[in-house]
Amino acid sequence: MKTNNNLDNFSDNRVENLLTPRFAPTTSREFKAPAPRRRPLWQAVRISAVAAAVAVVVVIGISSVQTSTASEVVERAITQLLESDNFLVYFTANVVENKNSQELYDLDFNGTPMQGTVEISKEESKVKMAIKWQDKARSMELYDGESYRRYQNGQLVLERPHGGIDLTPFATIDKLKDYASLTGILLKFREEGDMILVSTKGDKVGIVARFSKSEGRLLGVECSGLYNGQQVTVLTVVQIDFDVPPTE
Amino acid sequence: MKLTTENKQLTRLAELMQSERDHLFRYACYRLGSATEADDMMQDLYLRLSKQGARLAEIEDLKGYVYRSLTNSCTSALRSRRQFASTETLDTLSSDDLAPKDFEQEFQLIERLMVHLPDEQSEVIRLRIYGGRQFDEIASICNIPLTTAKSRFRYGIDKLREALEKRGLI
Repeated sequence: MKTNNNLDNFSDNRVENLLTPRFAPTTSREFKAPAPRRRPLWQAVRISAVAAAVAVVVVIGISSVQTSTASEVVERAITQLLESDNFLVYFTANVVENKNSQELYDLDFNGTPMQGTVEISKEESKVKMAIKWQDKARSMELYDGESYRRYQNGQLVLERPHGGIDLTPFATIDKLKDYASLTGILLKFREEGDMILVSTKGDKVGIVARFSKSEGRLLGVECSGLYNGQQVTVLTVVQIDFDVPPTE
Repeated sequence: MKLTTENKQLTRLAELMQSERDHLFRYACYRLGSATEADDMMQDLYLRLSKQGARLAEIEDLKGYVYRSLTNSCTSALRSRRQFASTETLDTLSSDDLAPKDFEQEFQLIERLMVHLPDEQSEVIRLRIYGGRQFDEIASICNIPLTTAKSRFRYGIDKLREALEKRGLI
């Protein structure tokens, strides 16, 4: 249907000219169709296990600040991660036992809180992980890029092939943006006193990363989502130690 | 891979949002006065609509629906800060104000002009100028006849012209 958008006289055009934007901001946001099945954030990656979730949360927490204004704090935090070959993450997660025994535990809104550590070692493109649980059996899960091994009470109880954890989607800010776009993650930044808060907002799960301005480092990350109408935290990274010596 | 109905609809939505991105963003910018808020609102809108999944297939005029959702979201967001709205009116407008030098000044000028109009007229003008919509699309978005969309635009422009002429500003 044709529409008449002409105005009657010169004065009218001047009014329209006054209203016509000359300094309109632009956006580079891209809308892409999401992955075929929408899943919680930690399941969206083709990796499972709590160890991977911790890694994803930490790496997103650090990588996401790259989109902030050029803050020295942020740069230092990123540099810290990039230059560190080993880092140790202390976390608390709500977990339930994995039903198919592929891994020990799954993250679950309705799970039981359990403490643990994840040690992440980078060797070229490979990422090795060791997750230690504070459960009765002192369980430990190892991912070395070729296999998955589970130890309980100091004994090897399970071993199977495993291709390792792929952190490629989070290796650069461009890849992170692609990932964020696919999974509908929105990154926001705000400052509260000495802290810089970087938050992501997906359709089911959100992540908040806290950075210290004065110390120039990542303080912690929380991953939470809505469950039965309540905001439930399923994963909290309470401390990150960088450049720790690898453990056996 | 064979796409499900949901996948097809989400693709349809993403493609529409991408093709209309600049218009949607500009509308939201000049409604909210903040590029950051406009960007966040677009993303929120996209996520909210995505949740409808396969039900998007039931929406024939998806473009109109997207714009209508955006205008509603903007209205809701503005409602909470209405009490802080500028009390500046056209009476304090100077010729300098008519030549803004950046987005903030331009937004302030447009806001001062828009508050001089009834909401239904300013909305049609915003959709036309900032949203880049044709009048038939505006009629669909606002759920009004085409002739009403045109007349609201015309009356709004006429009212502004008269007000500015009366004050010797144009």
